[in-house]
This record gives sequence, C-alpha cells and structure tokens, in this order.
Amino acid sequence: MILRVLSRLFLALSAIMVALPIIVVCGAALNSGRTMFFPPKDPTFARFHEFFVTETVWVKALSNSILIAFASAALAVLIAWPLAYWLWSRGSRASAILAGLGSMPFALPPIVFGVGLSFLWTFLGALGAIWAGVVSHAALFLALPIVTISIGLQSIDRAHLDAAATMGATPAVTFRTVILPQTIPYTVSGFFFALVLSFNEFIVMFFVSASSYSTVTLQIFNSLRNGYTPTMAVAAITFIAVSLAVFSAVARWGDLPRLMGAEPAKT
Amino acid sequence: MSVTSPAETAARTPFLKPLIWALILFLCVTPFLLIFAVSFGHKIEGASWEWGFSFANYQRVFVGASWPDEITFLYLQKLYYSLYYAVIASVLAVLTAFPFTYLMTGLSRRAQSAWLVFILASLSLSEVFIVMGWDVLLSNRSGLPMVFKETGLTAWLKEVGWFDTLREWGLANPRNVKFKTSVFATVLTMAYLVWPYAVILLYPPLSRLDRSMVEAAQTMGAGPGTVMRTVILPSVRLPLAGAILLLFVFLLGVYVAVTVFAEPAKQTMAVSVYEAVRGNTLNAPFGAAQAVVLLITAGIFLVLGQWLSRRGTS
Repeated sequence: MILRVLSRLFLALSAIMVALPIIVVCGAALNSGRTMFFPPKDPTFARFHEFFVTETVWVKALSNSILIAFASAALAVLIAWPLAYWLWSRGSRASAILAGLGSMPFALPPIVFGVGLSFLWTFLGALGAIWAGVVSHAALFLALPIVTISIGLQSIDRAHLDAAATMGATPAVTFRTVILPQTIPYTVSGFFFALVLSFNEFIVMFFVSASSYSTVTLQIFNSLRNGYTPTMAVAAITFIAVSLAVFSAVARWGDLPRLMGAEPAKT
Repeated sequence: MSVTSPAETAARTPFLKPLIWALILFLCVTPFLLIFAVSFGHKIEGASWEWGFSFANYQRVFVGASWPDEITFLYLQKLYYSLYYAVIASVLAVLTAFPFTYLMTGLSRRAQSAWLVFILASLSLSEVFIVMGWDVLLSNRSGLPMVFKETGLTAWLKEVGWFDTLREWGLANPRNVKFKTSVFATVLTMAYLVWPYAVILLYPPLSRLDRSMVEAAQTMGAGPGTVMRTVILPSVRLPLAGAILLLFVFLLGVYVAVTVFAEPAKQTMAVSVYEAVRGNTLNAPFGAAQAVVLLITAGIFLVLGQWLSRRGTS
C-alpha cells in the first residue's frame, strides 16, 4: 500500500519536474511589459497578437518553420517508404545497409551533420536557400518514418498476404488492398514525428540557413543574448500546443504504445 | 483512385533503386565525408580556406598550434568537458527515467498512451525553449534564487553554515545562491533535455518485461529490493547501458545549453566547432578537424551501444 502511494508520488513528481520550465515559460507569455517575469505582471494576451499578426519578423519566421516542417516531413516519408519496403520484403543485406546509412544523420551528434551539410550546400551554391533547408531536414529525420513504416509493415499478418496470393491477387493488387491500408496509420505517424521534430530543430537549420532566412527556433536563439521578451514565450506555447495536438492525434488514431515498442495490444 | 506501389514502380522503373541509393549516399554520407576532406585543408587569411593535405589542424586539436616548442591541451580540455557533461547528464537521466518508466509501464494501456503523449511533447520541445525555461528558473533576478531568498532558505543556509560550502562549489555569491553559470545548471539542463529520450528508449524493454515473474517473486516472499535486484535489473541491464551510451552520444553535440549555462572556461568542443565554422574565429578546416574528433568519439560509443543493445535483445 505504501509502495503504491510512493510510486504514484514519484510519477507525479516526475511530471512536475518535466513541466516546470514549460509552465514558467507559458506564464511569462502573459506579461504586459517587455521583460519576462514569473509570475507575470499585468497578465495580457497582447503578446499573442504580436506573435501571430503584427510583428513581421515572427510571422515570417513562423511561416518558414511551417513550410520547412511540412515539406521536409513529406520528403522524408517519400524516401523512407521504398527503404522500409525493401527492408521488409527482401530483408537483404544491401537494404539493411541502405536503411542504416539513412538513419546515420539522426544517430550522430546533429552539430557534426550540420557542419557537413553547410559544406555540401556551399559547394552546390545552395547555402541559405530554403529548399536546401528542407532537404537537410528530410535527411536528418529520415530515420523516423523508416522506423514507423517498418513497424507497420511488420505488423501485417503474413497469412493475409498468402490468402491474397492464393486468391489470385497480383503483387500490385495485394499492395493496394492489404499492405497500404494497414500501414497508413504508421506512415502518417512517421510523417508527424518528422514534422514535429523538424519544427523544433535548431542546430542543423542554423548551419544550413547561413542567416539568410530564419525559422522560429533560429529567431529565438538570435534573441537569447538580448534578453527574453514575452513574445518568445508565446512562440514556446505555440510549439508545445502543436506537439501535444499531433501526438494526441497519433495516440487517438494509432497505437502509440505499439509504435514506441510495446507488445501488440491483446484484444 | 490509382496508387502506385513501390513494387510496381520498381518493376516499371528499374532506376528507382539506384536513385534511392544515390540520394541516400548524397544526403546522408557525403556531408560526413566532406568534413573529413575539409579538415585537411587550411585557412587563408581573410575569411576563406583552401584544400590541402596536412595534419596541422589535428595537431592543433591535440597538442596546440606551436607544437613541439610548446604544448597546450586547450582543445583536448574542451573535449574533456564535452565528455564530462555528457557522462553525468546521461547517467542522471537514465537513472531517474528508469524507475519512472518501470512504474509507467505498469499502468493501463490508456494511461500509458496519455503519458507517452506528454513525454513525446516534451521530447520534441526545442532545445532553445528548454534553455529559455531553465534560464528563467535559474537566473539571479527571478526564479529559484529569488524563491530561496523570499522563503528564508538562504538565511537558513547561512545559519547552518552550508552556504559557505555552496560558495566553494561556485553555487552562491556573497548575498544569495546563484546557479548561473555553473556546471550544475549545465548538467541539469542537459539531463532534462534527454530525460524523455531515456523514457522512450527504456519503454520497449520494460513494457515487454514479464510481470508474472515479478508477481511470482513477490508471492514467494521477496521484498521490493530483492525483486528489483534479482528479477528486473538482470533482464534490463543491457538496454540500460545501451540507453546511457546513446544519450551520451547525443549530448556530445549539445550547443545551446552549454553556451548559456557553462562558464567560458568550461565550454565544450561543440561550441568550439561552432566558433570555428560560423562564429568569430572563422577557420572552417580547423572546425572540421574538431568535428571529426567529435564524430569519431561519438562513433566509438555508438558502436559500443549498438553492440550492447543487440546482445540485450538476443
């Protein structure tokens, strides 16, 4: 009994610890002045209006962030699909190596990959182009859709495939009617994982943007040294809200514990 | 609706496979190769650099530019701090995430989903926001130092004499406690940064843990400590070590937290890579050489971690 109470207490304490800096930042967004205080002085929502509407620096940065996140996540899923499919259908050594190479940027310290990409884009004359930023993030987060799509493919019951083949379905028909519908939730999850992480990524974007455009995280970093403004806290709230919405959706329509590596649910 | 499958496409377009190979090699491998290539070049006064083949940059990293007349370990010291922060923070994160994840995997699947949403949201939260939050919490004008002062904790610390100990550790100025800049703040923020990753890494082995074994041990009269030592720990020992290694590698490259929270003399190699490539020193080949050193260090530990987790699953 005591153990039960203690474990509940520990879970609650962990949650508070994780939430603490987030709560502080969120509270600071309500300040009416130019400086960040916690608890806020004269709470107001004026900063939200500034962030989303009036201050062009932030509006531009936010639209860049959104553009890069969506485009890079889509590109990552497009590249990851054939990789995961080959890995699953053939399981050859070559496809395993290919998937491994594709996951490498995500596993190594991002600052190193960022430096490498900045050299690459310099040689191609694309340093500071937004499309180069998109491609860079797609490469960085390729590992995520590879993993989720692979989990989805593995969850397909091989008996369904055999049944389809016995009844005379061509591989293409099997793909359309059995494989694709069962993996769509996993593909979408992979897309959103890549999207949210790209949205929040800082260091790689810092190197490949070469200060010629800015995203929200870059803009925050640039303002770090000049002291905080409550408008920056509004950005933080927006980002947390987006993450919570995305992952709640994944949990609602997909099997989040399974995606994170738990055993399939017993129904 | 017509959907084109990779299988169909592969049959119709035999160039898809070479195309993907080329794309992966170009995007995921060439950046790393370029760092190697550039690291042998040298700087031209002004702002640029040119190709070359000399080990001068590596020599500067390991023994200083004016070796053999004079030896300095300035950059090795930076590497040392990279390792130092990363070791403490990753061990701290995994040790606290382990009991949390164990308790969390014992909940219902619905509750687990809710916790996972919370953990993933904090995992994806940008480093810049996390640093901002902790900066507000730890800064001298607001946050914890103010709480210490207002609640009389500072006065109490002074009374019992622990205040002087804190000053020795660099965690206090004559008037009040201070956490910026300090090793404590750096390590705390870094551990916070990877804590959700630690939970996500420990989640699969712990959720697959056979709970009936735990119950059996309890029925036979084993206390919680004995259960932990004889049943749970042996089965998750390797994933635990693997998680520490992976987080350690991730933390080697942390930049924002170190620039904000670490003292100038205790900055890491990641910061110095930034200074050389984009910052005020502008010496790309030298930055590349440091990045290579960082990369090789990371690679060694990554291979070790892979090997551990593979042994853990088999």
